[in-house]
Amino acid sequence: MSDGGSGPTRPTRPSGSTESSESSGSTGPTRSTRRPETGLLGDPMSAPEQSVDFLTELFRHPLDAGYSDAAAARERIGEPTVRLRRSGFVLRTLTLVATGLLLVVAYQQTVAAEPEAAKTRASLVQDVTARQAETDAQQRQAEALRNEAAKLRDAIVGPNASALDQAEARTGLGAVTGAGAVVTLASGPAPTNPVTGQEQANDQGHIVDFDLQVISNELWRDGAEAISINGQRLIATSTIRAAGSAILVDLAPLSEPYVIQAVGPPTMTGALTKSAVGNFYDYLATTYGVHFSVRSTSDLTLPAAADPGLRYATPLTAPSAPTTRSPATTESPRSTPPEGGP
Amino acid sequence: MYAVLAMIAGIALGVILEPTVPVALQPYLPIAVVAALDAVFGGIRARLDGIFDDKQFVISFVSNVLVAALIVYLGDQLGVGGQLSTGVVVVLGVRIFGNVAAIRRHLFKA
Repeated sequence: MSDGGSGPTRPTRPSGSTESSESSGSTGPTRSTRRPETGLLGDPMSAPEQSVDFLTELFRHPLDAGYSDAAAARERIGEPTVRLRRSGFVLRTLTLVATGLLLVVAYQQTVAAEPEAAKTRASLVQDVTARQAETDAQQRQAEALRNEAAKLRDAIVGPNASALDQAEARTGLGAVTGAGAVVTLASGPAPTNPVTGQEQANDQGHIVDFDLQVISNELWRDGAEAISINGQRLIATSTIRAAGSAILVDLAPLSEPYVIQAVGPPTMTGALTKSAVGNFYDYLATTYGVHFSVRSTSDLTLPAAADPGLRYATPLTAPSAPTTRSPATTESPRSTPPEGGP
Repeated sequence: MYAVLAMIAGIALGVILEPTVPVALQPYLPIAVVAALDAVFGGIRARLDGIFDDKQFVISFVSNVLVAALIVYLGDQLGVGGQLSTGVVVVLGVRIFGNVAAIRRHLFKA
C-alpha cells in the first residue's frame, strides 16, 4: 500500500507549482532539500503562498505535510525493511480497528443518551403521581378521621352540637352541602404568530391567580357561604397565589379547568353574572376566547379545608398533655404510620 | 482491502463488546470521532496520492484524537468548552471536506 506510486505524479502542495519545471519523479527529494530555506516560517510552502491567510491555506491544502515528507524520505533512504513494513501494517490495522470502535461507541452513546433522558423524566413523573396519590389518600384519611372526631364530639357536646357545626361550616373546618353556583374558568387558546405559527408571549387569555381571586371575592360579596376551587376549600387564611405558571391554593397546585364551587343563596348566580366581574369575564370570553361559565346547581358538596392547626393557643391541661390533648394529638399519631410507611 | 476489513472488525468489536464510556470522557467522544475521521480521510487521500505512510497515519490519528480532546478539556476548564469544541469541529471539518474533495477528484476526475 505504501509503495507503488511513491513517485508522486500529482503534487499535493503548491511547492509543486514552483518546481513544476523539474521532473515529477524528483519532486520529493527537491522538496526535502528546500526545507531548511523555509523552515523558519514553519511551513515548507513556496514563497508566493506564504502570504495567503490561514483559512485559505487550510481549504487548499488539507493534507498533512507529513505524508509527502515521509514519501520524500522514502525516496531518499529507500523502501523500509520487511519488518518495518509489517509492524507498520499491524499498527495501521490497529488504528483502523480503533476507528471503527470509536465510531460505533460514539453511535451507541448518542443512541443511548436519548432514552436515558426520557427514562429519567418518566421515572420522575411516576414519582410525582405516586406521591400525589399518597397525599390524596392521606387527605381522605384525615377527612374521615375528622368526621369521626366530629361525631364523637357531637355526642359529648349534646344540644349545642348544631351551633358548633354551623360555626365549623362557616370557618371551613367542616364539609358543607347545599345549593349554589359553579363557575368554570379556563384559559383561551394562546395567540399564535401568523407567520411563524409559534405561540406568542403576551397571552391575554391565560388564566392567572388574580382571576381566581377576583371571582372568589365576588362570590363572597354575592353571599357565598363556602367556596372551593378544584376541591380546595377556601377559608379565612387561604391564599391563591401563582408559582411560576401554576396557581396554588393553600400550597396545592391546581390545573385547568378551574372549577369554583360556591354554596350560597339562589340569587348568587344572577348577582355574579350581573356584576362588574361577570361582565369583565364575559368580555374576556368574547375577546380572548377565555372559557367562563356560571351555572346554578341545587346539590353541591364542598369538602372541609385542611386543618389549619393551632398557632398560638395551647391546651389548658399542659402537664398531662400526652393523654388529654385529645382532639389535636390523637389524630396525628394515627396518621403518622401511613406517612412514615412508604 | 485490509483497511476496510479492519474497520469492519472494529465496528463488529464495538457492537459485540458494547463498551461503556466513563462519564468523564463522554464529552470528548464526538470530538474524538471527528478527529479520527480527519485522520482516516487524510490517509485515504494520501493513499490515492500514492504517498501513504503507516507511521504518519498512526501518528496523525493518535495525535488528532489526543489534541482534539486536550483542546476541549482545556476549554472546559476555562469555561469556553463549547466554543473551542466548535472551533475544533470547524477546523477538522474543513480539512475533511478538503480531503474528500481531493479524493473525489482522484476517483471521478471531477
